[in-house]
Amino acid sequence: MFLTNEEKRMLDGKFGQGIHRSMDLLVKLGESFDAERLVPVTYAHVSYDFCPKDFWDMFTEDVPRTPHRVTTHPSYSPEKWKEWGLSLAGNWEKEHEEKLRRYLDLGWLRTETCAEYLLGIFPRKGDIVPMAGSCMQVANNSLFGARVDRMGILVSLAAAVCGRTPMMGLVIPENRYAGHLVELEDLDVSDWTMAHYHCLGYYIGSQVPGFKPVAVKGLPPNLPFDFARALVISMPTSGAVTLAHIVGTTPEAPTLEAALGNNKPQQVIRVGKREMKETWERLNVWEDDTVEHVTFGCPHATIDEIGRIAALLEGKTLKTTMLIGASAPVETLARQQGWADVIEKAGGHFLPACPSIANPFTRADIAGDKQAKSAATNSARSAHYIASVCGVSVFFGTEEECVNAAITGKWKGEMPKWK
Amino acid sequence: MEIRAHMVSAGQAEGEAVVYNGPFAFLGDLNPVTGLICMPRHKLEGESLVNKVFVFTTGKGSSGCDFAAWAAKKNGKAPAAIICLESEPVLSGAVIATEIPTVDCPEVNVLELIKTGDYVKVHATEGIIELAGR
Repeated sequence: MFLTNEEKRMLDGKFGQGIHRSMDLLVKLGESFDAERLVPVTYAHVSYDFCPKDFWDMFTEDVPRTPHRVTTHPSYSPEKWKEWGLSLAGNWEKEHEEKLRRYLDLGWLRTETCAEYLLGIFPRKGDIVPMAGSCMQVANNSLFGARVDRMGILVSLAAAVCGRTPMMGLVIPENRYAGHLVELEDLDVSDWTMAHYHCLGYYIGSQVPGFKPVAVKGLPPNLPFDFARALVISMPTSGAVTLAHIVGTTPEAPTLEAALGNNKPQQVIRVGKREMKETWERLNVWEDDTVEHVTFGCPHATIDEIGRIAALLEGKTLKTTMLIGASAPVETLARQQGWADVIEKAGGHFLPACPSIANPFTRADIAGDKQAKSAATNSARSAHYIASVCGVSVFFGTEEECVNAAITGKWKGEMPKWK
Repeated sequence: MEIRAHMVSAGQAEGEAVVYNGPFAFLGDLNPVTGLICMPRHKLEGESLVNKVFVFTTGKGSSGCDFAAWAAKKNGKAPAAIICLESEPVLSGAVIATEIPTVDCPEVNVLELIKTGDYVKVHATEGIIELAGR
């Protein structure tokens, strides 16, 4: 791989071990994909809490403040967890605080969200923004036209440390045309909610072999943001899709021809009632209808979502615990609007955490004996990770069904009438 | 028998093969504490990948796969080596960072050739898969 003189010195350890190790990882990864060179980043995004402590220490060793911006993924909140009586919360405190202190020393910005675009931090078309989190990777690629390749949490730290990323995959414009075409067949989407789009995205992700871009046609033009986002972010959960063009909605897909780069698709994936029904069933992993926890905000909730949940919870009391994953600024806006108070009065909680992989209520290694043994969600991503990472029962349904489950403690969700 | 392949992550390791005709995610599919496949309704649910040569199609899933791989490796519960048809950047980053010898793009379809239980040596640095017998 071609390296500039400065990059060679970074690799040789002239700027310390952290930069050396980071550069070594980027170069090895780039070489395995025949990348010609590294490219400078517009900004980068890491996760300090998901990063193992030994890896974090090794890769940030002697690293000075970076000239480029770095932001961060959803975080842990051991103090809040303790306040809520979660038995093993204390185990997480020291490591979290140490990594956070180092993070701030690096001059990095404490955004703590997987939906930074809601804070006004979003890429412009063509920006190169290596990042942790397959969910924001696919959102930034698809909804904003950023050039983001698929990348892991550890590699994204290396990219943030070096301010470089290998010129490979979706960073290269000609790799961004869709190779797979999704056609909706005989599906009326007029009454679809976010959960329906999550379900569709989850099915598409499972059908695409590999990680080439996808184009989805047949949806109404200018699909509302929440729906477009739900559709694209579910794909890298069941698969590895990191760029999905929604024809008539996303910036690189004004037409189908533009999304395909005037090429013929390698594969056509047809989705009808049967596929939707089977996927909805697959996302439900439960036997007994008792619900102990309800989670929203995967990806982090928009203000509209919080407003709808608050409207459904007005004057109600919850039987289950409820977590809404949201960034601190969006939570502040919800508080200003009076919605956060309604939700908290009912018994719900907000956290700038990942409510799926790091949900403190469903994780046995955080909640201990207080662990909820079942959770309801309207996010396919949450359903997938809560079932697998936390090993508890999962109910998947609409926002309204989930709120009802939180109030009654019972699951009354129904299979949608696919039209 | 030797099969040529493309190096993803350097090194050499050997073990019994576990063959799965589908994509794999270190986060969600594998329990890093036990080394067993933990995804509900997965075809291999409950099977161990510890010190095995895991053969599958490609990577998938969250960017957290590399920290999950790191945890599995630290617990001594990671596969010994990986062979896949075509790697993708999250899987490649995970195996490079955790130093699990890995190859992809084998010259023949290993999903048909290698059976679960076969003894396989992966010389990743040389880009060679050696089938040592059943």
